[in-house]
Formats: sequence, structure tokens, C-alpha cells
Amino acid sequence: MPKPLLSFLLALCGAWLVSALSAHLDPYYLDVLIGVGINIILAVSLNLIAGHTGQFSLGHAGFMAVGAYAATAVSLFLGPRLIGDSPTPGGLAENTLFFAALVAGGAAAAVAGLFVGIPSLRLRGDYLALVTLGFGEIIRVLLQNFEPLGGALGLNGIPPYTTPFWVIAAAALTVFVVGCLVNSTYGLGFRAVRDDEIAAAATGLNPSRYKVVAFTVGAFFAGIAGALFGHFKLTITPAGFDFTRSIEIVVIVILGGLGNTLGVILAAVLLTLLPEFLRPVAEYRLVLYAALLIAIMLLRPQGLFNFSLRRPAAPRV
Amino acid sequence: MSAPLLQLTQATVRFGGLTAVDALDLTLKEGELVGLIGPNGAGKTTAFNLITGLYPPASGSVAFAGRPLAGLAPHCIVAAGIARTFQNIRLFGSLSVLDHVRAAGNLHRTASPLHALLRLRTFRESEAAVTACADELLALFNLSCLRNAPARSLPYGEQRRLEIVRALATRPRLLLLDEPAAGLNPQEKIELVALIQRVHREFNLTILLVEHSMRVVMGVCQRIAVLDHGKKIAEGSPEAIRQNPAVIEAYLGPDHATGLFHH
Repeated sequence: MPKPLLSFLLALCGAWLVSALSAHLDPYYLDVLIGVGINIILAVSLNLIAGHTGQFSLGHAGFMAVGAYAATAVSLFLGPRLIGDSPTPGGLAENTLFFAALVAGGAAAAVAGLFVGIPSLRLRGDYLALVTLGFGEIIRVLLQNFEPLGGALGLNGIPPYTTPFWVIAAAALTVFVVGCLVNSTYGLGFRAVRDDEIAAAATGLNPSRYKVVAFTVGAFFAGIAGALFGHFKLTITPAGFDFTRSIEIVVIVILGGLGNTLGVILAAVLLTLLPEFLRPVAEYRLVLYAALLIAIMLLRPQGLFNFSLRRPAAPRV
Repeated sequence: MSAPLLQLTQATVRFGGLTAVDALDLTLKEGELVGLIGPNGAGKTTAFNLITGLYPPASGSVAFAGRPLAGLAPHCIVAAGIARTFQNIRLFGSLSVLDHVRAAGNLHRTASPLHALLRLRTFRESEAAVTACADELLALFNLSCLRNAPARSLPYGEQRRLEIVRALATRPRLLLLDEPAAGLNPQEKIELVALIQRVHREFNLTILLVEHSMRVVMGVCQRIAVLDHGKKIAEGSPEAIRQNPAVIEAYLGPDHATGLFHH
């Protein structure tokens, strides 16, 4: 059996094991684990867009919001009609509904990614970053003013479907899909487009197609992360998906090293655990983030966890 | 007689008020090795960008193997069989030498992106075939030893060679070389001439060559077209071009006697 598939199945077994043991584990650690998993999904999916394909995006929280709201709409509004008001907690009906909600969240975000991918065909560098930033803000403001989805108050009383199993499985799927795409002849095109679009076209690769695929696939997983996030926090508000959230994900990707999947996973773990240790100085977290970014840019521009000797192209921020 | 492989008919490119390529007629028959020369700013590279679809013609047309190229995106033109190199080398800096050639193999892989996700036998066979093809090409051009080196770490001459190999990996019928000798030392130029002749012979290619180095152009081309200010001012055998007064005037101004290209 090919190795990536084997690792993916192993991860699924691990997810099952954790969920089987979850009754005996400290809920605090499970919460942290879920947070880490969600950030891994977000960072690895952004890494496909910004790292491998070089399309610097500051709108990842926007995709997350689309996914969270779409998935919540399914489980909160459609759920009672489909599986009744009081299904068995953790039963088949509930898990099937959650799976459908996750797919809906991912699909809605993928459609959003498609729409953001299209301006990326014309813009690059700072200009694209600004458009994606604008996209994230538009999503947030739209949700804030859309009363059927709760407006500024957001949605409450979301069923607590997110379990460590779902999060680990989704994170494993993200790493598997992104890793398999990138590590193939087809996937060389992502890096070729990042390094030189005109040369990529002259090599017979379609830069537009690659960028749109990167945005769509990346947004799909960001949407799933948003869905998991919503069913974990049990309440979502538009303010929870603001610009700061996007920046957090960008910081993880840059810290791990643009285009370095393993590094990005490690960075996601590190940066999710860091605030747990820094609870006493929580107000200064953003200051700390900025300082961290500047320090990395100066000291290790190739990313904290990039140990190959070659330095990748400077990120186009 | 079969249709010409490449035919430019009154092809014109304008940038605002500047006519960079002016009503250019150029015909390449299958198997020819043609040079395109001219002073700086004559429109040679613009002609290449026109053929490869980077610029649309303002008027006139470009046809490849009897099929008009109008409206085709650059990557589709590559798929149709026209590959090129660039005057300022354009490699994928972070990709290895092998990956450059594999990336070009995308045009000929049998597995789809979905196969890449499933990683079944189709995928592995397709990947192995692409890699084997790439290795074969690298061996032909003495780049095997640099196989895993990132492109940006290569010496200049090897970068030029890799660009040609990457173009060949798309399996073109027509190869456009944009100043392949730029920046090479005399020894490397001699090697380049041999390389171009070998590629032309062994790959059954038609080649259009833009070059400033007269040694290279006169050495390899069967026919030469001369551009000046976007217009074709002469076309003929290397011998005829050497003696052509209009060409000498374009390069050196009106007051110069013959004998420019004699070294």
C-alpha cells in the first residue's frame, strides 16, 4: 500500500483511539487538542495557497466564517427536521448530520474560494493580499448585517458535535490531500506558478487553473475548520472571524516556513499551545505575535522549522 | 507541398503608439533552422512573445501547422507544440533540476490530479514514466549529476542548458530560442552551437533562433531574417545577409562599408 494512504489510515486509527479514550482524559487537554487540530487544518490549507502557490492571502478567516455559518445552518436549522429534536447523543444520526454539515461548510467555503481565486488571476503580491483582506472583511460585515443568521449577535446553541475524532480525522485528511496534491507531477505546477508564472505557462502549465484550484481546495478545508470550530465553541459571531484570526493563521504559516507542510504543522501546535502558557499576559498576545513575526523575518526568513539548506523565495507580502 | 509549420502573415504588435512588430511575414518549413536577428529594440523578442501568445497581434495572424493560434493562451500554444526559452533565464528557482523537467512532463502524464490523491497503480506508473523520461533527457544533456540541485544554485551556462531541456521536455515541434548565447563565454558559445545542431538533428525539430552573437547565428542557421524597427528588412542565406547593404546600414548606420560580419 502506498505510504501516504497508510499514514492517513494510521491517523484515522489514532483518532478513533483518542475518541475511545476521551472519557478518561482531562477535558482541558481534549479542548487544547481540538484547538490544535483546527489550527493545523487552517494552516495547512493556507499553506497550499500562500506557501506552495505563492498567492498571499489575508482572507482565510473569511473562508472559515463561510464554512462555520453554512455548517451551522445545516445542523441548527435543517438538523431538527432531518433527525428529530432529540437524537441519541453521539449516535449514527447525529454523526451523519455532522458529516453532512462539514461537507456543506467545506463546499460553501470552496465556492467562496472560487470567487476569490478569480481576482487572483489578475493581481499579485500586495495587491492580492489587499483584495483577500477586503474579502474577509466583506464576509464579516455581511454576516453582521444578515439577521436570519443572527446578525452581530451570531448564532447560539449550536449542538456540540465536534469531537477529537472528527478534528483529528479532518486534520489528517487535510494533510493527506494537500500533501498528495503537492507531491506529484501535477503538484509541481503549484510551485512552478509561485516561482515564475510566465515560465510556468511556457512549460505548458495553466497558471490560472493552478491558482483557482489552490484557492478552492484551501478554502474547502478552511470551511471544514470553521465548521468544526462552530460546533466546538457552540456559538459563533462574525467578530470571531475578523482580520486578527486571518493574521494568526498567516503567522503560523510563516513561522513554519512557507511551503513546508511539516513545519507548518509544528508551528500550528506551537502557536496554539503558546497562548495556553501565556494566559496571564493574554492582552499582549497580538503584540507578541507581531514581535514574533518580525523576529522570524529577520532571523529565519525560511521559517522556524525549515531545515533544508536552501532558502525559499522571500515571501511576497 | 505541405503547409508551412509556422506562418506569420502581416503580423503586427503595437504598444500604444509604438509599433514593435510591423506587418511581419515569416514562414518556417518543417525541419528548418532559421535565425532572427536585428539591432537592440528591433522587435525580435516581441515577435517571440507574439508567437507564444503572450501578446495578441493588433492585426495579421500567426498560424502553426495550418492552424491559427489567435486567442490561444500561452500554455495551450505549448501544448500545440511550440516551446521556448527566455532571454533572461526564467527557471523555477526553488525546484530541482529534475523537477523542472518533470513539471514540463505534465503535458504527457497519464494520471489525473485525482489519481494523485488515490495513489493507486495508475498514479505510480504515470509518475515513474514521467521521471524516467526526465532522467533520460537530463542524461542526454549531461545534467544528471545536478539532478537534485535547486535550479538557482546552478552556474549560468547550466541554467541556460536546463531551460532548453525543459523546453524539449514539452516535446515541441517548434523550438524558439531567445538569445541562448547571451552571457556565455567563447568556449561555451562553441558548445552551444554544437548543442543547437544536435537538438535540431536528434529531435527532428524546427528551430527559430534569436541571437546577437553573429558567430552563433552564422554558424548554425540555414536562413536568416533581419528585423529593424519591427520591420523585416532582409531575409536569405547567411552569406547573402552578410553582404546585404540594408542590414549593414541597420546595424552600423548609412556611412559604413561592407564587411561587418567578417571575423
